[in-house]
Amino acid sequence: MMDLAIRDVRQDLGRFILTAAGLGMLMSVVLAMTGIYNGMVVDATVLPDVYGGDLWVVQKDTQGPFAESSRVPSLLVDRIRAVPGVERTRAYATLNVQNQMPDGETLRFTLAGLSWPDDLGNSLPLEQGRALRQPHYEMVVDHALGLPLGATLEMGRDTYTVVGITSGMVSSGGDPLVFVSVSDTLRIQNDLANEALRLEREARVSRVRRSPYGRDPANLARAGAQGTLPATAPPPVTAVLVDLAPGQNVETVKASLSQWSDISVYTIEEERDLLVRGVIDRARRQIGLFRILLVVISAIVMGLIVYTMTVDKMLSLSLLKLLGAKRRVILRLILEESLLLGLFAYLVALLIGEVAFDLFPRRVLVEDMDRVALLGVIAGISVASGLVGLRKALSANPNEVLAS
Amino acid sequence: MNERLGKIVLHVEGLSKVYGEGPTRLEALKPTTFDAVAGEVVAILGPSGSGKSTLLTIIGLINPPTTGSLMINGDDVIKNGQEVVNLTTVRRQQLGYVFQRSNLIPFLNGEENVRLALEIDGVPARESRDRARALLDSLGMGGRMKAMPSKLSGGEQQRVAIARAMIHQPSIVLADEPTAALDSSRGRQVMELFRDSAHANGAAVLVVTHDHRTLDLVDRVLEMEDGVLAEKGHTANTRQ
Ligand SMILES: Nc1ncnc2c1ncn2[C@@H]1O[C@H](COP(=O)(O)OP(=O)(O)O)[C@@H](O)[C@H]1O
Ligand SMILES: [Mg+2]
Repeated sequence: MMDLAIRDVRQDLGRFILTAAGLGMLMSVVLAMTGIYNGMVVDATVLPDVYGGDLWVVQKDTQGPFAESSRVPSLLVDRIRAVPGVERTRAYATLNVQNQMPDGETLRFTLAGLSWPDDLGNSLPLEQGRALRQPHYEMVVDHALGLPLGATLEMGRDTYTVVGITSGMVSSGGDPLVFVSVSDTLRIQNDLANEALRLEREARVSRVRRSPYGRDPANLARAGAQGTLPATAPPPVTAVLVDLAPGQNVETVKASLSQWSDISVYTIEEERDLLVRGVIDRARRQIGLFRILLVVISAIVMGLIVYTMTVDKMLSLSLLKLLGAKRRVILRLILEESLLLGLFAYLVALLIGEVAFDLFPRRVLVEDMDRVALLGVIAGISVASGLVGLRKALSANPNEVLAS
Repeated sequence: MNERLGKIVLHVEGLSKVYGEGPTRLEALKPTTFDAVAGEVVAILGPSGSGKSTLLTIIGLINPPTTGSLMINGDDVIKNGQEVVNLTTVRRQQLGYVFQRSNLIPFLNGEENVRLALEIDGVPARESRDRARALLDSLGMGGRMKAMPSKLSGGEQQRVAIARAMIHQPSIVLADEPTAALDSSRGRQVMELFRDSAHANGAAVLVVTHDHRTLDLVDRVLEMEDGVLAEKGHTANTRQ
């Protein structure tokens, strides 16, 4: 039996290709939504993934450092290192920065501290350059920031030089990451000519002035002699990362750390969970729902297209029935055409994905499983649309050939 | 010549058709009985609305009769208004159709339109192609068989349609005003084709026509008036 579907398609190839291209664009948006969804989940967990660490120690009763802000004393780094089972501790400090460039453009990024000298950033996915070699004034920036190797950036009162470039390193909000040492992070935080910080500092000064030490310098001298002068602590860090010695049980160490009254402790899995189910949860569900909506719309559009294609063929279908064609012949014609349309639309969607998704400002991560799933969805839509068309096709009446 | 020639291929008995009910009731075909034999061309004349198309569509098994029986090659197909075999199969194997226009599937070229009649009955592609080409060749369409229907003239379209109606060597070919859309010389050519093909394939051809000038090409003339079919006589062509 000659292939009727292919011949019908060939008859008006231009229209078929346009229709398939249109459907393909719709499907490419479904694919993009899937990719954005995946990218969002990956982006959200970039920081915990790149830092690793078996346990994350944060400020008491907060879900820091990503879901909520957290401050812990930097002395904690040394205190925790003394706990049995702990092999290594690292300070973690982070800061969101908006930097005005000389050309007037604003650079937005998230500063993440590497715990010098334990962590120089050797585990970062470097595209160019190297990890940190000095404890100060060097930075590894993400590709998305757009700065080349050797470029410099003024932050606080100092100038930092790009020594390495990573790819795909973004915060859960999608801003590119800039890695400097933890002490640089703290210095920048302190130095930033930030109105809020300045005001806070002024408030602190006036508080001290109103205190007994401020009102009468003699008090200060007396207090110093008695050893009651409050100690000036080093600036707090955001969190402390704990690496366990080999063979140590995470839960055991977590349980013993959790007894400390001034901190909360999370495993790295819990941190990822806080991000995916907390920080990006709404955005994730929003995209998920939008994707479902798109699939429904695509199904309706495709059903209408196949129905219209069938209506356009009613005379041929009536003629086929008149000639005594079996139902199978008509079934094959309609279903095959519907599947051909779906297949073309799928290929167009893949092509658009290949060409366009890299141009998106945020990560669009389409995996083979997603492509297979889309193929399955399109096949399902095609079959459903084909059945809609078939219902119409089987209503073709041989008498209509005469009436025309 | 064909070994079927002269055998009764179509026998209808008491065939009638009533459209509508009550005040709109119309007996378009009064109980009708007649035979057709292999190899003959039967012309059906009659004014518009007299029931010619109704008769042809009932015999063509696309319009159920209200009463009556129909036999093809001695086998019951419709008995007392009830179908007794699968009509689709009979249409595919025993019947051929030609209409005034819109006979051809627009997305198939001439050769494919003809092949279709064979392939829907399971004839392999190679054989169907060879047979279609040979038949179209013999109908003078050898150079035009790859053309799409929209690129064919009215006369060429009808020749392809006749080839399609004949290719599977049906017992009965039904043609409803096949020459109405053609000028008189092309119309005459088409009638000649019916005559030659009927003889060559051993089919009975029932052709509704208004063109009295081509009646010299047919074997028998039936006349329809107000749903009543009457024999108008055999023509000079009749071989008996
Ligand atoms: N499907 C139908 N429903 C109702 N009346 C019909 C139908 N088909 C034909 N008729 C009527 O039956 C009569 C015969 O029609 P038809 O067989 O088409 O005549 P002819 O082909 O000789 O012009 C006409 O009066 C026509 O109006
Ligand atoms: Mg008529």
